[in-house]
Amino acid sequence: MSKETRSQKSYTWQRFLEGWSLFYENLVGRIGLILLLVFGLMAVCSYIPPLIDPMYHPMTGVDPDVFRSTPPSAAHWLGTDNIGRDLLSQLLTGARIAFLVGISAAFMSIVFGTLIGMIAGYAGRLTDSLLMRFADMIMVMPSLLVVLLLSSLFGQLNIWIIVLLIALFRWPGISRVIRAQTLSLKERPFIDTARVAGASNLRIIFRHILPNVLPMALLYMTFRVTSAIIVEAALAFLGFGDPNTVSWGMMLQWVWKTGHMFQAPYWLLPPGICISLITLAFYMIGRAMEEVLDPRLRKEEQKV
Amino acid sequence: MRHQLYRAFFAAAFLLLWFGPGISAWAQDSTLRIGISEEPRTLNIWLASDANSRKVLSLIYQPLYNRDPETLRISPWLAESLPEYDPETVSYTVKLRPAKWADGSDVTADDVVFTVNLIQKFKVPRYYSKWSFVREVKAVDKRTVRFFLKEPKAIFATRTLINYIVSRKEWEPLAKKAETQEKPLTALLNTKVDHPLGCGPFVLEEWREGTSLYLKKNPHFFGQGQSINQRKLGPHVDKILFKIYGTADVAILGLKKGKIDFLWWAIQPGYLEGLKDDEKVKVFLSEKSALYFMGYNVRKEPFSDPVLRRATATLIDNNFFVKRVLQGYASRMDSIVPAENSFWHAGNLPDYGQGLSRAERIRKASALLREKGYSWDTPPVDDSGEIQTPSSIRLPNGRPMQKFVILTPPADYDPNRATCGLMIQEWLNGIGVPAIARPMSFGALLQTVKGNHEFDAFILGYGRLSLDPDYLRSFFHSSNDKSRGWNMSGYRNPEFDRLAEASVSAMDPDKRQDLIHKMQQIVMRDVPYIPLYKPQVIEAVSRQFTGWEQMVGGIGNIWSLCRVKPVD
Repeated sequence: MSKETRSQKSYTWQRFLEGWSLFYENLVGRIGLILLLVFGLMAVCSYIPPLIDPMYHPMTGVDPDVFRSTPPSAAHWLGTDNIGRDLLSQLLTGARIAFLVGISAAFMSIVFGTLIGMIAGYAGRLTDSLLMRFADMIMVMPSLLVVLLLSSLFGQLNIWIIVLLIALFRWPGISRVIRAQTLSLKERPFIDTARVAGASNLRIIFRHILPNVLPMALLYMTFRVTSAIIVEAALAFLGFGDPNTVSWGMMLQWVWKTGHMFQAPYWLLPPGICISLITLAFYMIGRAMEEVLDPRLRKEEQKV
Repeated sequence: MRHQLYRAFFAAAFLLLWFGPGISAWAQDSTLRIGISEEPRTLNIWLASDANSRKVLSLIYQPLYNRDPETLRISPWLAESLPEYDPETVSYTVKLRPAKWADGSDVTADDVVFTVNLIQKFKVPRYYSKWSFVREVKAVDKRTVRFFLKEPKAIFATRTLINYIVSRKEWEPLAKKAETQEKPLTALLNTKVDHPLGCGPFVLEEWREGTSLYLKKNPHFFGQGQSINQRKLGPHVDKILFKIYGTADVAILGLKKGKIDFLWWAIQPGYLEGLKDDEKVKVFLSEKSALYFMGYNVRKEPFSDPVLRRATATLIDNNFFVKRVLQGYASRMDSIVPAENSFWHAGNLPDYGQGLSRAERIRKASALLREKGYSWDTPPVDDSGEIQTPSSIRLPNGRPMQKFVILTPPADYDPNRATCGLMIQEWLNGIGVPAIARPMSFGALLQTVKGNHEFDAFILGYGRLSLDPDYLRSFFHSSNDKSRGWNMSGYRNPEFDRLAEASVSAMDPDKRQDLIHKMQQIVMRDVPYIPLYKPQVIEAVSRQFTGWEQMVGGIGNIWSLCRVKPVD
């Protein structure tokens, strides 16, 4: 490893540590992170109950002695649903699904948004106009409604199709921000230097622009996770989720459709609270990251 | 003078206070407010196929015969007496009751003749199959009509005569106009009917689309004050208001808060606890003539093999659905004909996995399949008889079974059937059968199953199964295995066809019963359909009204709405 690369790595590490200390000083960020860790733990723990007893399988396991929705008990800490399935197992599995949907949909939309934003900003002229008008068109589409329509046209959608659809509708916002950053970056001297040195457009985009817009893209990812989780929950609640998946939205749909909405608060509240808290967690982390990335948002004494 | 004025004022105030609330209560109570789930789609009787349109129209148009709430036998309604059958001419003679249409004109034999001719001429779907075997209809006199059949048909009296009669005055011009169009049937079905002219207990007063529909009492109703089947008829309410609620929760809240008096809607068992505790609400649990089932596409592999169908029937635990999914408000079905229809329901039917545990079911099903040549790399039952996670099953020809889809209605349409689909998927996976349950919008599901036959398996239900078991023939006769035909599974069995044809013409009930029993035994042996369950109807009403007539199918019937009255 050359001396330069090593010093560059230590510089990156230094910057990360500075960023982390700023993030850690932020109370909102700390709370968000703790909440997220709790949900992460829930997602990991979701594999445990079915190993204890098959009756704790979130989808197919039923307590042989329970035939209706029952309140919390020693055997079922959150109670059971109407066919005798354990609600805690379902809630833990729901955390896994929320992460899966949220992070993968957000990641996909970040990839689409960043690529399109960088290309539009860097290429400019007609490409920029075309891509941005396309982004405008997607942006004004009511995503939930379109996904609902697609779902009713093609039957119930698989969870990965739902993830892809969410991603396809949620990239324009990011692409606009990334485009703006790219427009400013491409006028900088280091880009000119690269160009003069003979770097290709692709190299300039991926080697010089991408690392500079990536922090912003990651920041937007935290906000996109929130919206992806909410869209999935709304779809599932309205009966258009993946029926083979136990998500929090699905739990809410079951409690509603089986007529237990006002009868079983132990069934209704946990998934609702979890959806609120996980989206809050991502939002809080996003806000804290925003402060780390944008010095203008920091308090005077924190400005580095 | 002043004293007199004061006295008059106080007397008026007293009268108002004394009778006022009574008058307003009476005015309010004489309107029966019914909650329904969706807007009726049409008031055109020939087009109406959705439940809510038919609920409204059932109070406007009337049939010649109805079913008695207790005996369920046909009983005269618009007809005066039971039909007289003449075996020599293969004809039925029906005498009409003196009755008037809502505009005051007489209901005549001509109207009946016109109705039948219209159905036959336009081949109106839903009705034509019931009248197609009628050769001729003649008005003998103003109130007597005679139906000549092509051949003796047992279902004429039990299924055909319970269809609605329309007014010639209302429909003749509309039919003539439709006939001039390029597609007369489509034109007839698309005819917009704003004020249907019926002879039932109510007539349409106003339809505020999207919110409510008002019916008012028909002053010319033939049953007013009459006793039919020892039941004195009203109606005793001046108006009926249909209020449209999008969701069950809001409708139930409306019932509890006194905003509606009757929820004409099958309530999910989960709501029952909350309703039973409410003093203002009365809950009715009624039996239903229904069939909820899983059907296979037996036209193609792998389900063309009856052994595979029997093995899957062994794995499906109907009691699970009854006890858990429907919370006990249902009964298990062991045949296509519900057990409550005792005269027609057959005994000695195969019970498949009834009473067995999950492990025993898996053992029994895997033994059946192994015997027929199905195989696994890792079988569901190991050498010591223990259950294990199997590999995917191989067909007798050695090829692995392809993934297949069980289509179900979506959870927002029927959560029970969607859940059943998921459970069946898991049970079949437990023996290495690669099933996937996929909820699909109801319209698309029907189109797939009935239209193009591009499916593997499906879960559907008949919520209003006729009491006459002629549906057995419709569901499984090979002539109905066609696009949009009722034989959705594509089941073909010459022996069954022969019995089915004989059953239609068998005029002797005992002989017909024997044939129907044999048909059920064949179907349950070959299991193109696996009957799952038959739900009970849960309905709730306000205690402000009394006189509900409970029968198979619930309290939402013409008898109830002709007899229900406000509590004094």
